[in-house]
Amino acid sequence: MNLENVEKQFNQCNKCGLCLATCPVCKELLLEKYTPRGKILLARYYCRGGLDLSARCRDIFAECLLCGACSATCPSGVDLTGVFVAMREELAANKGLHPKLKSAVESLIKNHNISDEDNAERGEWRDDIRNMPDHMYERDRAEVVYFVGCVASFFPMVQEIPRNLVQILDSAGEDFTILAGEEWCCGFPLIGAGAPDRMKELIDHNLEKVKALGAAKIVFSCPSCLRTWKEYYNTDLELFHSTEFIQNLIDKGNISLRNLSVKVTYHDPCDLGRNGRVYEAPRQILKSIPGLTLVELEKNRAQSVCCGGGGNLEMADPELSKKVAQRKIEEIRDTGAEIVVTSCQQCVRTIKGMVRRKKVAIDVIDITGLVKRAIAHG
Amino acid sequence: MISTSIKQELRSIVGEEWFLETPEDLATYSYDAFLQEYTPDGVVIPETADQISRVMQIANRERINIIPRGAGTNICGSSVARKGGIIMAFHRMNRILEIDPESMCAVVQPGVVNADLQKEVEKYRLMYPPDPASMFVCTLGGNVALNAGGPRGVKYGVTRDYLLGLDVVLPNGVIIRTGGKTLKNVSGYDLTRLICGSEGTLGIITEITVRLVPLPSAKATLQAVFSDVDDAAKTVSSIIASGIVPATLELIDRVVLNVIRDYGGAEFSPEAEALLLIEVDGQSSALEAQGKSIEKFCKERGAIQVDRATSAEEAEKLWQARRTAFGAVASLRPNCIVEDATVPVKRLPEMIRKIVELADKYALKIGVLAHAGDGNLHPLIMTDLQDKKEIGRVDKALDDMYEAAISMGGTLSGEHGIGIAKDRFISKEFSPSAIEIMRGIKRVFDPNNILNPGSFL
Repeated sequence: MNLENVEKQFNQCNKCGLCLATCPVCKELLLEKYTPRGKILLARYYCRGGLDLSARCRDIFAECLLCGACSATCPSGVDLTGVFVAMREELAANKGLHPKLKSAVESLIKNHNISDEDNAERGEWRDDIRNMPDHMYERDRAEVVYFVGCVASFFPMVQEIPRNLVQILDSAGEDFTILAGEEWCCGFPLIGAGAPDRMKELIDHNLEKVKALGAAKIVFSCPSCLRTWKEYYNTDLELFHSTEFIQNLIDKGNISLRNLSVKVTYHDPCDLGRNGRVYEAPRQILKSIPGLTLVELEKNRAQSVCCGGGGNLEMADPELSKKVAQRKIEEIRDTGAEIVVTSCQQCVRTIKGMVRRKKVAIDVIDITGLVKRAIAHG
Repeated sequence: MISTSIKQELRSIVGEEWFLETPEDLATYSYDAFLQEYTPDGVVIPETADQISRVMQIANRERINIIPRGAGTNICGSSVARKGGIIMAFHRMNRILEIDPESMCAVVQPGVVNADLQKEVEKYRLMYPPDPASMFVCTLGGNVALNAGGPRGVKYGVTRDYLLGLDVVLPNGVIIRTGGKTLKNVSGYDLTRLICGSEGTLGIITEITVRLVPLPSAKATLQAVFSDVDDAAKTVSSIIASGIVPATLELIDRVVLNVIRDYGGAEFSPEAEALLLIEVDGQSSALEAQGKSIEKFCKERGAIQVDRATSAEEAEKLWQARRTAFGAVASLRPNCIVEDATVPVKRLPEMIRKIVELADKYALKIGVLAHAGDGNLHPLIMTDLQDKKEIGRVDKALDDMYEAAISMGGTLSGEHGIGIAKDRFISKEFSPSAIEIMRGIKRVFDPNNILNPGSFL
């Protein structure tokens, strides 16, 4: 969004303040400057020459999960997160990158992943797969590409997501491949860091590699990679979230699920639910598992509250991120469910991290893990 | 301008980080939900009544204006620094101190969010009735200062009707207590109810005791569409005359219905001139009969369509048009002025016709939402503040609108307050003697005129 469009957005804001009700950040940081309304007004002051950009201002705009709860609440339809992203870009261009994101951005540009590791190691999550096929899920040509994403590739806590998904796809007889070391970061963290101008190389590379495989479809287990592809990649390929893809496989009868007598609740990831409008596929999958009981969270679907893992906040202000996660755990606990299912590796990481920290007796699992269990069970 | 030494004094009272003066902080306390903005000289965020008392002593000594601000959701500009000064915010005073189910009351700090109190008292099967549209954000201190109402007002009344007692810091720093926990109290002048609605001009509210009522066990929701506003208005009168008191009785006029339709919010018959949303609450056994009676009244008085919800989901669907209304209207033009001229219930159709006439006369787009059960209109003026010519016409239309409301025995404001939005019209409603009494009261409380000066008096 350029500044002209930003202006259109804040002109639409009538300062009613209803966005304060759903913003997880302003439940913790009470001052008006941290509220969505406050940030919109700061953008307006800046654009009209009434406020200079500063490191202080950059810190304020960093205190946001980019979860989109404010935009969904706004009665006037203001695209608040669009303005926040544009302001982060403006701040990065004028005042430099946020100090806590600087090294991550630089390492991402250099290594093509967010983990500061050699990108050739991107496929190491496969090492623990039993009965691994010879091709190790890397083929020269395939109809479907599974774009694994940086977090699920490199963070041990969530590497079971790709491990489970490739086995699910395999068991359903899908013709698919991964890109392994040729998969580069989709560029999503750069958007939140205010550096979307540095995405081009990543986009060009990923598009070229996928094209070379002759693929028609890409499946993502990461909702934010999917969103980035949809919004920043100019492609005709069909893009699916893993939940949509798995639901199709279930509908076609390519996957059969057996009984799991468990009581679960489902957390809608922001980029899949509210920002991607995929609410039903994961619920359909859960309903396809015999014996499973789904209890909804108090705030679900478009009202879902961020887990605390969005907007690069985990890097910019880890303490605030944890406070948001803490509230999420309380909401989950109130359902009485024994398992919280979600469909995003970042949500799994954030929620699981807090569950462990607080020693809460609840299992945190990505939906692929539950599907894998239901396939294997019995 | 406030001197460095005074800032230091304030910091020593509230704590170093709770006196704010960065450009970002001043910018974000320059507004509420009304149009005009004024950059304050500072923001102070106290934690206790004692701190407030000490801050007020300094402010009074130095003649520094103090403007209390809750969540800044009021739409009359009653929490902006019109004449400069320091905004006092209550983010740190946000605790529910006590819920007493036996005495049916609760004690709260001013920064508690209205909906948070509602949620807590519901655990005791109790209800705090005032439900302003901003209830998920607005604070009880602000609610008391503005005497906030809400859709439930037709049955349950407004904030003032639930107020039992207050702790208040006066501009000179003295702390007084008014009222208490008793449901009855006729001792002396009723300072509690005087301070309620005083828009932060008399004292700083630091503790609030409110009355609670039993939570109704069920509700019934109906929606009726009329091809004539008069038919809708007659239906409202006949429902009330029958002895049924709905908890909600909302009216939406043709202009707003069309905007909602275009926005994709809901579908209505093309002949629709007015829509009534009616909700009754109470014992489920009684509600069935009441719902049927209301349906009958609507049909007998010419409703072209009546829907009665049979489930919570259906009720939610009927509410959809009303809930979409403000957003739909607000998104049509750059600005939306929400008015709240209020008339006696039976004059409602007359007032709606007057508004249609004014929209035509001044070439403006004005829709009407109304809490029809209590005659509280919300004319929504869709406009553009940048368009000076149009704003000139808006001012004239407002002038005529208030003139009309007052001449019908009504008031400038049913529930939003006067603030800086309507101060220039106040002589339309009050005689010079009445205004002088108000000014006298202000002088008794605040002889140096440091509390929210420039707001309504």
